[in-house]
Formats: sequence, C-alpha cells, structure tokens
Amino acid sequence: MDVKTESYVAEAKKELVNPSSRMFLDFFLPVLSAVREIGLSSFPDPQAAVERARAIRRQSVGRLGELLETFERNAMKAGAKVFWAKTAADANMYIRDLINRHKIPYVTKGKSMITEEMGLNDVLAKNGTPVYETDLGEFIIQLLEKPPFHIIGPAINIPTDEICRIFMERAGMENPTNDPVALGQAARDFLRDKFKHMQMGITGVNMAVAETGSIINVENEGNIRFNKSAPAIQVSVMSIEKIVASLDEALHMLRMLCRNGTGQKLTSYVTVDTGPRKTDEMDGPEELHIIIMDNGRSKIYENPKTREVLQCIRCGACINICPVFRQIGGYPYGWAYTGPIGKLLNPLLLGLDRTSDLYGACTLCNACKNVCPAGIDHPSMILYFRNRNMEQDQVLNGKGATFSERFFANTAGIAGSYPILWNTATTIGKTAVSRFGSGHPLVKAWTEKRAFPPMPKKTYRDIRKK
Amino acid sequence: MKKAALFIPCSVNLILPGIAVAADLVLKRLGVTTVYPDSQTCCGQMVYNKGFFDQAKSFARHFIQVFENFDAVVCPSGSCTAMVKHRYPTLFDDEPSMKKRAEILSTRIFEFSEYIVDVLKIEDTGAAFNGKVAYHESCHLNRDLGISAQPKALIRAAKGAQLVHMNNADQCCGFGGEFSVAYPDISNALVGSKVKCYLESGADILVLGEPGCLLNINGYLERNHPGKRAMHIAEFLAEQGEHHGC
Repeated sequence: MDVKTESYVAEAKKELVNPSSRMFLDFFLPVLSAVREIGLSSFPDPQAAVERARAIRRQSVGRLGELLETFERNAMKAGAKVFWAKTAADANMYIRDLINRHKIPYVTKGKSMITEEMGLNDVLAKNGTPVYETDLGEFIIQLLEKPPFHIIGPAINIPTDEICRIFMERAGMENPTNDPVALGQAARDFLRDKFKHMQMGITGVNMAVAETGSIINVENEGNIRFNKSAPAIQVSVMSIEKIVASLDEALHMLRMLCRNGTGQKLTSYVTVDTGPRKTDEMDGPEELHIIIMDNGRSKIYENPKTREVLQCIRCGACINICPVFRQIGGYPYGWAYTGPIGKLLNPLLLGLDRTSDLYGACTLCNACKNVCPAGIDHPSMILYFRNRNMEQDQVLNGKGATFSERFFANTAGIAGSYPILWNTATTIGKTAVSRFGSGHPLVKAWTEKRAFPPMPKKTYRDIRKK
Repeated sequence: MKKAALFIPCSVNLILPGIAVAADLVLKRLGVTTVYPDSQTCCGQMVYNKGFFDQAKSFARHFIQVFENFDAVVCPSGSCTAMVKHRYPTLFDDEPSMKKRAEILSTRIFEFSEYIVDVLKIEDTGAAFNGKVAYHESCHLNRDLGISAQPKALIRAAKGAQLVHMNNADQCCGFGGEFSVAYPDISNALVGSKVKCYLESGADILVLGEPGCLLNINGYLERNHPGKRAMHIAEFLAEQGEHHGC
C-alpha cells in the first residue's frame, strides 16, 4: 500500500472537521474503551490477568528464534508447508507463484493487517488476479479504495449512505437502503458466490502456537473460517512475532485480545488449525501454506530497546484510548498501522525520516501504555525515536536535528548549568515573547485559538529575593 | 518542623509565579519551612522531550547538585516531578555514580499535593471554597506518578467545596509542551473537548495540578468562555476567605 505518512498534518486537519469521522470518534471510541474495562472486570483479578499477558508476550519475544523453529517443526509435522519470507516482496512473490502454478482464477481474503503491510492486493491486481476481501469492513474499503481507518474496524467510520452508493455501483446491490442489516445481506449475497467457487483463501494469523504448530484466528463474521476451511489451498501469513509457546498461553492471550479489542470475552468465531485436512477428515484445505514474514522485524528484534514493540497483539486498546487518535482518526497515520502502535510500528518499518509527525504528534499522556495488555511502553519508545532521529541513527534512518534545533538545545544545556546565564536568558526570552513575539509562528500557533496570560513583571525568583 | 526545598518549574517562575506564591503560603500554613535554592534552573524536560538526551543530562547534573542535599523537594508540577523522578535515573545508565545520585533524589522529590497528603499526612489544609469543583487528572500526575487520590482528598476537605464528577477527567487536555504549538489544530480540538466536559460537569471551578494544562485550559476558556476558569491546586488551597464560585 502507498505510504502517506508525510501528509500527516494535512490529513489530520481534514479529519478534524470531517463529520462522519467525528461521529465515530466522539461517540464510539469512548464506548469501546468503556466496554474494554467491563470486559476486563470479568477476570477474578484483572490486574493479575494483565500482568500475566505482559509476561507471556515478553517471554514469547525473548524466546522468538527458538519458538519459531519449534513452530515450524510442528507445523510441518502436521502437514503444513512453511515458507520464510525475508521481505514483503518475497511473501508476495510466493503467493503470486502459487496462484499462477495452480491457475487460480481469483482469491478470497480474510481481514489481515499483515497483507495490508505487504501491499498484497496491489501485487495480485498487477498479476491479473481478482482479490475479494470477505470481511465486511475490508470489503467496503476495498470497493471505496480507502485505507483502513482502524486496525480492527477498517470501515467503522464510513456512513451507511456511502456504503449503499458503493454497493449499488460495484457490488450488484439493486435497491438503495440505509439499513445495516440489508447492507450486510447484500455483501453476503455478493461474497457467497465467491466462496462457492473459491480455490484459494488467504488469511492473516492472530497467534501461532509453537508446541502444536497451530495457527489461531479471531473474528466476528465467520469469513476467516470460510477462507480456512472451504478452499483447496489455504495461505496464512504471519509476522514473526505472532508466536506463543503453548496452547495454554495462547488461550490466555485470546482472552486478553478479545476483551481489549472489543470488550468481548471471546469473539464469535475462534479457529485453531493444525495442518491441512487429514485423510480421515471431511473439511479443511488440501494444502496449507504458512508464510512467516520478517520484513524488517529482525532489525527491530536486534535492538534491545525496540524489541518490546514486537510484543504487540494488535488488540487496538491503545488506539481507542489515544486522545490524538480520538481527534484525527486513522487516515493521517498514512500506512497499515494507526494510533499509538502505528506511531511505533510505522517508524520502525518505514524509517524515522519519513514518519517524524507520527512520533512527533504525541502529548506523552501515557494512556496507551496504561492499557496495553502486551506490556509496551509507547511513550518511552516515542522519546527514544525522537532521540534517535535527532542523533541521525543509521539503522533507524534518523534524519538529524536542524541547525537551529541543535543550537537551541546546546545553548539551553549550557545555560541550564549556570544560574546567572539561565536567568538572564529566560528573562530576555520572556520579554521578547511578550513584546515582539506576536508575529512568530509558534506564538501565533498558540494565540490563534487560545489567550496567553500577560507576562508578570516579576518572576518567582524576584519575588523570593525580596 | 518540616523543611522542604521548593523546585519551581520555569513556566511557574516566569509566567505563573502566583502558583509558587500560593504553594509556599499553603506549606507555611501547614508548618513547613520552605527553602528556595537560588541556583535552580530547569529540569530539562523541554529538551528531553524533543529528543536531546545529552543536553537533558547537563540539566540533570546541575539539578541533582542543587537539590540532592535536601530531605524533601516539593514541586507544583506533575510533569517536572516525573522528569526528575522517573527520567533522570534512566539518563545515567552509563554513569553508575550519577545514576545512584539520581535514584536517591528520585525518592526525595514530591509533587505538591502528594507531599501534603502522603508526607505531611494532612488533608484539611484550612482551605475554603464555596462551590462545585471539578478535577482534571493531568496525565503525568495521574498516570506517570500515580497521583490522583491525593489532590481529590485535599479538594474534598476544603470547607464548602463539593467535588463533582467530570466526564473524561483523565483524558489529555492537549497541552503536551511543544505539541501545543507544533500541532495547534489537534491541540485546540483536545482542549475544546476538555472544556466541554468541564462546562457539562456544572462545576464552578476546574482544579488541576499541572501548570501546562492550566495555561492551555485557561487560554481556551478566556477566549471562548470568559468568566469560567481553571485554577492550580496550590492557588485553590491558598484560598481561605469567603468565595462564591465564579
């Protein structure tokens, strides 16, 4: 998918006044955060459950290499084909070749963020292979050619009249309606036909279990189950960090994932698959291909500071609680991942130089860190990115400080150790702002919508001296 | 007799000195001798948040030297307290002796309301305010330092004051230091929704413990809802006379 992280400010400005985004952001996100609280309160000890989840994720990432190898061994033992993709291009090529080799006329897809990251749909379109998204939200944004608004609700901001228009235009719906149930039925009618003749289904993976070689998917619509059980060939793509050691740990993480994402104790559908169809089984694919994709994550893993980001389980709790996301929604983040986790993953996967507004536009309020069931300290990572960017980090593609930024910081750093210098400089600064500052862009940025108090004649230091 | 050193943040020293005057007054009223170390400058949070960790270190070195010999350092700001308490020790990972000094100071620095309630063990400060009070849970006080019960206990104990519920009390007001001028559109939208919650709460005054939030919220109120205002908890507690809301 296209990277638009550099138009963050312009997109944010648009979204701040976009009525359909506002409706969703103002009312639905606080509700999602509230149902999360209710969901967590169904644990006998919610804090203990959160702490266990954080420990599981930390340990899973700590044992990443070993667990992945165990997973591969057990998945292959169960009959799956495992492909290690170093890059998104490798993964895309594997899928494309599979399609061409088996002469697959079209593919259906379950909702997955990883295939957004890979830009799989574009690659398959170029190959002349039609792709049908089967998650209702993904189906809508695919028709509208829009990026996902939210990692778990990609079209949650789209009003029903827009859905009606696009369904009539592109999904064969005949009579206009704003009834959500009727719209859902229209999508279902359209997609059922695709499911009927499907030969290959593509899904993401929520969790991969090392001890059994199983892959787990969570959803509320049943389309992923369709994609995993109906076609002859199933392709499931996972990034390396999706691993957990055991089914016991996977089940705990499932409880956390659902509660944190939608407030549900469990989603309507949870599928655990171990290998393709066995000879004595009636259902399931004949071939199961599991693609384990790195796409820059080994680099994230190698750095002990950034490794923590791999603990994410994509529940979306940080997104729903983020005050900035609650104002601007998902589009400004400009790539696959949005909200606080997008502020971490997009810069790590795309480079600090082209994502500076993502980690810049943060008030460091700590709300994300507070709710994260995977134990990620987002604010600390954001500060680390700012530092690595200023210091022109080679691995993370930091672009370096401007001359004036560095000059200001160095001067302040020196003055901060000499009280006389500091007091003189700040007093001059204060006078300058109050007398001549009105035209300065930074002062204007404040005073356009907010008053600034009159500068007092005396500082507290002056008052105290008397 | 308790003795405490006052660490006065730059924003308070330069723009809102009334907060420091009030904090000093309240502490003296509660029997604390306050000292204002004259050589204090700044905690360095501003350069730190921008990503200049090395420069922040030189602020930290100076700060530690100025304040490390006091048993208690009191600060009327959550974010400046958090900078010293939580960030300083991490700045010196490669300098064990400085790290140790930073860690010791980290146990001796207290946010203003925390100091009164947790150290002095006082809730009734003799303050009086006749009216309804809403409390804004500033991010660094609430989530970084875990200070939320203390200021509310102080408000409840004020004579005549009635603490009322405010929706989304713990959502960021949109200040965020440089964020407020680097992303003014988002910042304005956030302070707008904070003020909306304040107005809906029916409170006569909004009390908070963070000078940055105060500048932001009062700046917006003055422009859009003159007559309504926010107040720092130190100023709120300093009030003893008859007060009839706003």
